[in-house]
Amino acid sequence: MTTMTLRIGGFSTRLPTRLVLVNAVLVILLVAFAGQSLLAGTYPTSLADLQNALSGRADKITSMILLDHRLPRILTAIGVGLAFGLAGETIQTLLKNPLASPDIIGFSAGAGTGAVLTVVLLGTGTFVFLGAMLGGLTVAALILALSWKRGIAPGQLVLMGIGISLTVSVINDLLMTRFDVTEAAQIAKWLVGSLEARHWQDVSILWLGLACLGPLAFWFQFKLSRLALGDETATVLGVAVDPARMATLLLAIGLVALAVSVAGPLPFVAFVSGPIAHGLTRQPRPTLLCAALVGALVTLLADTASQSLPGGLTLPAGIFTALIGAPVLLWCLIVESRKRRG
Amino acid sequence: MTGAARSSLVLPVGLAITMLLAILSLRFGLRDIAWPEIWNALFAFDPMNADHITLRELRLSRVTAALIGGAALGLAGALMQAMTRNPLADPGLLGVNGGAAIGVVISIWILGASAQAALIAPALIGAGIAAVLVLVLGGAAHRSGPDPTRLVLAGAALSALFLALTWAVLLMSREALDVFRFWVLGGFTGISMTQVMAVLPVYAVGFPLAFLAARLLSPLILGDDAARALGVRVWLVRLICVGAVVLLCGATVSLAGPIAFVGLLVPHLVRPFTGVSIPKLALGSTILGACLATFADLAGRFLLPGREVEAGVVIAMIGGPALVILVRRRQEVPL
Repeated sequence: MTTMTLRIGGFSTRLPTRLVLVNAVLVILLVAFAGQSLLAGTYPTSLADLQNALSGRADKITSMILLDHRLPRILTAIGVGLAFGLAGETIQTLLKNPLASPDIIGFSAGAGTGAVLTVVLLGTGTFVFLGAMLGGLTVAALILALSWKRGIAPGQLVLMGIGISLTVSVINDLLMTRFDVTEAAQIAKWLVGSLEARHWQDVSILWLGLACLGPLAFWFQFKLSRLALGDETATVLGVAVDPARMATLLLAIGLVALAVSVAGPLPFVAFVSGPIAHGLTRQPRPTLLCAALVGALVTLLADTASQSLPGGLTLPAGIFTALIGAPVLLWCLIVESRKRRG
Repeated sequence: MTGAARSSLVLPVGLAITMLLAILSLRFGLRDIAWPEIWNALFAFDPMNADHITLRELRLSRVTAALIGGAALGLAGALMQAMTRNPLADPGLLGVNGGAAIGVVISIWILGASAQAALIAPALIGAGIAAVLVLVLGGAAHRSGPDPTRLVLAGAALSALFLALTWAVLLMSREALDVFRFWVLGGFTGISMTQVMAVLPVYAVGFPLAFLAARLLSPLILGDDAARALGVRVWLVRLICVGAVVLLCGATVSLAGPIAFVGLLVPHLVRPFTGVSIPKLALGSTILGACLATFADLAGRFLLPGREVEAGVVIAMIGGPALVILVRRRQEVPL
């Protein structure tokens, strides 16, 4: 495989050309789609409008639509996708199982319960995000604590996660029957995950969190790629296996919490980013950057699709993440099994 | 007690407990029916007696549904785990629940169905289509038969796809959401004898096929190659097995909604008593499945004052903690 060498001062690393190319293409696509969804829409605008809006010379409506409506939404979509992609790839690599998406650690189900409970107990939808965050963290902590046996045992964690998530999601279903149907519809929308009406406040929380956790995730990538070689090999290579595993897992939980609290549990983004990234780069080792970019692209596409339905219909973006993600996963399956069976 | 004695005792005991629970379910509920009246309702029916009507029209069909449905789910779970050699495999992984859900939602949305009885046919059709899709994508058409890992992954992906479509309809139609949110809990309340009779032919094919599959699966424990060397047609065995699971689960989900955990949990609870023998495991899971479903249906009548809790919810409440205990007792398993 052809590789390139990257040198920054005393630091140097070898990069496969394909990896660099794939990442570059993904960045270009991301920028292109972001630009397209910033300028196009029911109220079409041009590049000149954007320049005017940025320098404060555009009329009120144009600048409101561009800067207060579309831009925060796009930035939220990209940020959420990056966070889900990073978390998904981290957890799948850590547990060595492509089925082990963050849903496995109970986060989505717990966040759902938290959200529904805040609506039940407080009678308003204002604190849904806070409730979701608390619920998700509680269930994740419960699963971690219950599967703890002198360290984290990946197999136990997955089994425990499936069991607890299943129970918690039945609780969600039960709670849903306790509302009148209008409220239930509101909650349903949130449970699917949507990016409608995001403000600069959401954007700042999200990107601040990403700025803290993102670099950490990339720093852990080195440990992660050693953990992927197996516990014994990792120990020989000087990784303290249990602390490293715990730290990576907590980091992934933090990333999912951040994304869920802003956009709801957009299904399938975290699940599908890693397998797509591996399919594109053909890299056996963890490809965090690529997975994050794929996550951002899927989320942005899903959000664009959710706004461009015919007949003025709007559906939350969470529906489209699965509609885009599932066929890709199936395609990966078929390709992989062809390769294996020859 | 030796293992053999234990396993020969456990079946009659399980059967006895199940029968006892079934009789108790006839007796107790929002309206208790005295013992003599139960006898009279069955053998000296008086159409003017409210107790008799309750028993004949509501309780009897409900108990029958819980017994058959629970048995079917337990048996299907045992087959799934034996076939995929995966303790995590659940019949829901074949996509039947997701397919049934989308069938139900579309029939409410487009055809305006709302009665539980009208949902049976669309659920069965949806479950069938989903299962065929999962089978094809899972490699059933391949000459070595469906590949277990690929089958499970294809089931997961298709389930997610169906779930997204289901949610899309639910968000567009309030009526669909209103019916669906009760259907999805899963339970045996309000099932009539006509409904039970409607799916009975499916069970009549499914159960014998499943027990046949349980016998045929035994040599596959040794691995595909060893089984082939013994002259077993692996692809045919897998196909029979998957077909039986689809029939059993499709019929149950259309009758009682998606009930989680029975298929996943029951084989784990039975295995310590029956050992590795797949036919014994299948028989034990059938009995325990029926027992668990009947118990959940009965217990749901007492949990909240004045209101019934759906059997699906009760089973999840029992199943979650049971799985936690099960996992904690296990050794670390490589995945």
